[in-house]
Amino acid sequence: MIFVTVGNHYQGFNRLIQKMDEIASRSPYDVLIQKGYSTYCPRSVRYFDFVPIQAAMDYIRKSELVISHAGIGTIILCREYGIPLLIFPRRKKYGEHGTDHQVEIAKALEERSDDRISIVHEENQLEDKIREIVESHKKFAPAENTGRKNLIQAIRTFIEKSQ
Amino acid sequence: MEKKKKIGLICSAGGHYTEMLQLWEAFEGHPKFLLTYREVATMNREGTYYLENIFHGPVAFVKGVVKVFLILLKERPSVLFSTGSEIAAPAFYLGKFLFRMRLIYLECSAQVYQPSLTGRFVYPITDLFLVQWEPLLKRYGPKAKYVGGLI
Repeated sequence: MIFVTVGNHYQGFNRLIQKMDEIASRSPYDVLIQKGYSTYCPRSVRYFDFVPIQAAMDYIRKSELVISHAGIGTIILCREYGIPLLIFPRRKKYGEHGTDHQVEIAKALEERSDDRISIVHEENQLEDKIREIVESHKKFAPAENTGRKNLIQAIRTFIEKSQ
Repeated sequence: MEKKKKIGLICSAGGHYTEMLQLWEAFEGHPKFLLTYREVATMNREGTYYLENIFHGPVAFVKGVVKVFLILLKERPSVLFSTGSEIAAPAFYLGKFLFRMRLIYLECSAQVYQPSLTGRFVYPITDLFLVQWEPLLKRYGPKAKYVGGLI
C-alpha cells in the first residue's frame, strides 16, 4: 500500500491529493489518502480526513511507501519503522502553509542524503519518483536515532538537577 | 528517598504531539500529565487534559488561559516541558510567574534556520532551551542548546 498523508495543519494540500488521485487512477497502486483539511475529494482511491495517531502509525507501518508533506511526525515515524518516504513540501505561494519552512526542511534532509527519504519539489516529478521507489523494492532497517537518545538524556539530567 | 518531581507535558497536535511521544522515556518514573488540543489525532489518551485551540478567537483564548491556570493550580508540577507550539505560551508564563515552575522547551524540528514565534516568545523565561538543528543556535542567545534532533 502507498499511504499519502498531509497531517493536521489547518490549511489543505490539494495539489498533492489531486495529483495522487490522478496517478492512482491510471496505475495499479493501492493508495490510501489522509487528506486532512484539503477540500479536494479523491475519486479513484480510498481516503479519510483524520484518524487517531495510533491508527496513522499502523497505516505507516503497513505501507511499502509513504508520500507526505514535509511533516515532522511522518518523517519521525517513517525513519523509526524503516519505511521509504517521499516528501513533497507545502508551499506558501499556493496557500498550503504560512511560511516556506517545509522547503527548508526538505533541503536540509536532501543535504544529509539519506536514501530512505526522497524529495520532489514539483507535482510532475511525483509519478516517476513513485515508480522508481516502488520498483526498487528497497527494504530499510529502522534508523538509529542518536538525536532522540541525546535529547532524552539532556532532559532527564535537567529534571534530576532542578530544585 | 527523594520525592519524584511531577512533570507537566504540553504540546499541540500533529508533529509536536509525535515529538512528545518520542521523548516519553525522558519522564519515566515521574508522575506526569499531558495537556494538548482536542483533535481526532490526540483523542482518548489517559492522563490527558484537552483544550480547544486557543487561537480560535478571543473567547477561546481567554477560556484556554483560564483552563491552563486551573490545571496548573490543581496539578502543581515542578517542571513543565513543551515541544510547542503556541499552547506552550500561556502555560509557561503562568507556570513561571505564578508557580515558580522550571521550564524546558524543545523547538520543533521543523525550525531549521528560523526561530518559531512561540520559541522566541518563551525563550527569555525558559530554563533549558533546546533546538534540533545546529544552524538555529545562532538565531537564539547563549542559553540555547543543541544535542541532536528527532528527524
